[in-house]
Amino acid sequence: MEALNGWWDDYFWGSVVVFKIFITSLILMVIFGLIGAMAKLSNNRIAQKLAAAYTVIFRGTPEILVILLLYFGSAITLTAIAQIFNPDIKFLDIPPFWAGTFAISVIVGSYATETFRGAFLGVDPGSVEAARALGLSNFKTFIYVRIPEMWRIALPPFGNHMLSLIKDTALISIIGLNETLYVAKQATSVTSKPFTMYIVVGCIYLAFSTAITLTVMGLEKYANHHLEDA
Amino acid sequence: MNESVSLIFDSVLQMLGGIGMTFQLMFVSGILGLLLAIILLLMRISGKWYLNWPAQAYIYVFRGTPILVQIFIIYYGLPQFEFIRDSIFWPILREGYGCAIVGLILNSGAYVSEILRGGVIGVNPGLGEAGSALGLSARQRFIHITAPIAARLALPAYSNEIISLMKSTALASTITVMDMTGIARTIVAETYAPYEIFISLAIIYMILTFFIQKSFGRIENFLGRYTKQLEI
Repeated sequence: MEALNGWWDDYFWGSVVVFKIFITSLILMVIFGLIGAMAKLSNNRIAQKLAAAYTVIFRGTPEILVILLLYFGSAITLTAIAQIFNPDIKFLDIPPFWAGTFAISVIVGSYATETFRGAFLGVDPGSVEAARALGLSNFKTFIYVRIPEMWRIALPPFGNHMLSLIKDTALISIIGLNETLYVAKQATSVTSKPFTMYIVVGCIYLAFSTAITLTVMGLEKYANHHLEDA
Repeated sequence: MNESVSLIFDSVLQMLGGIGMTFQLMFVSGILGLLLAIILLLMRISGKWYLNWPAQAYIYVFRGTPILVQIFIIYYGLPQFEFIRDSIFWPILREGYGCAIVGLILNSGAYVSEILRGGVIGVNPGLGEAGSALGLSARQRFIHITAPIAARLALPAYSNEIISLMKSTALASTITVMDMTGIARTIVAETYAPYEIFISLAIIYMILTFFIQKSFGRIENFLGRYTKQLEI
């Protein structure tokens, strides 16, 4: 264990990076999921087709491939554009943080699309009719009736999506982001205690997923608490 | 334009050279992972705490950590110990290929065992009671009543798990295994053409996903052929 001395702060800052990615990609994932679900449920043929293609593509491709493609693809495009203005630029990339965050939220968003779609379909049509009868606008019905009711249905699978997100953050170390796995790699090259170093990473992720699981359990209790008295 | 067409054509041929490796990783770890999952399932439903608890702890740890971290612990971590380098497992754990398979087995075992448990829970308890009324032992009830129905109930979730196992095999490329993704990364490092190569590879993976889905759909139809008639 003494091999770990001097590395704790690196692991701490690595965990902070993991947490930042998680929060950012969580927000993006919800946005992608909602857009996808709305497109699938809309009457617009083109939107339906696009959303279907979105889910098929990102559910059928390995996560690591999407991350590599987005990072190296964007780097090559950016470099080409930058060279038009300044031929001296040799290499320009999107920071791995943003390339990776975007990649994992697009991937998990494709799973969330299906979850949200199912949950919207699970909203009692009577509630929507009641909102209409009360004269609520479409937008208000969406915010005050559909969302609160669908979110209760979507919560358990949504918890699983959050767990996938936190676990996918580990993949971003492949494109050189300095999160915990990257710290372990550096620490190994100095101390030659790889097992100790990687086990710490495992424990950090286990702590993250435990925290998420407990949060989701709490949220489920909160979302259903008005049903318990009945 | 012509150049990139011939580049795509050449690299697709090269990448398909790695499809055997991808299949090997998938089948070996799929089959052994299923075995591990069944053992874990039996431990969990045994009703004995000293079997149930370790199985639950195992599943919790392996589902709570990223598979990439698990693979790295096995590949980079285990050689830290002298006794592992001296053990009979060393020929397996020395190679990236062996480590990737061990990691995939351990990981998918945990996920599949939860899926199977979902199937077992879904079996109507009345059927088990009927079995015991007919004088079947607990073991006979499990083999002849619970297991066949649970397998059918678990199949849709299991097919998703096999697809994610297939996608996880791409991670083997991070520990020097030359599967399709490993070959693609080498080509990109040489040609610096990520769009052409990674997108063609993504299409190959999507085709594989499509075939896995179709084959499991057929198996589901076959196993569900008795339940179909009830719906009419």
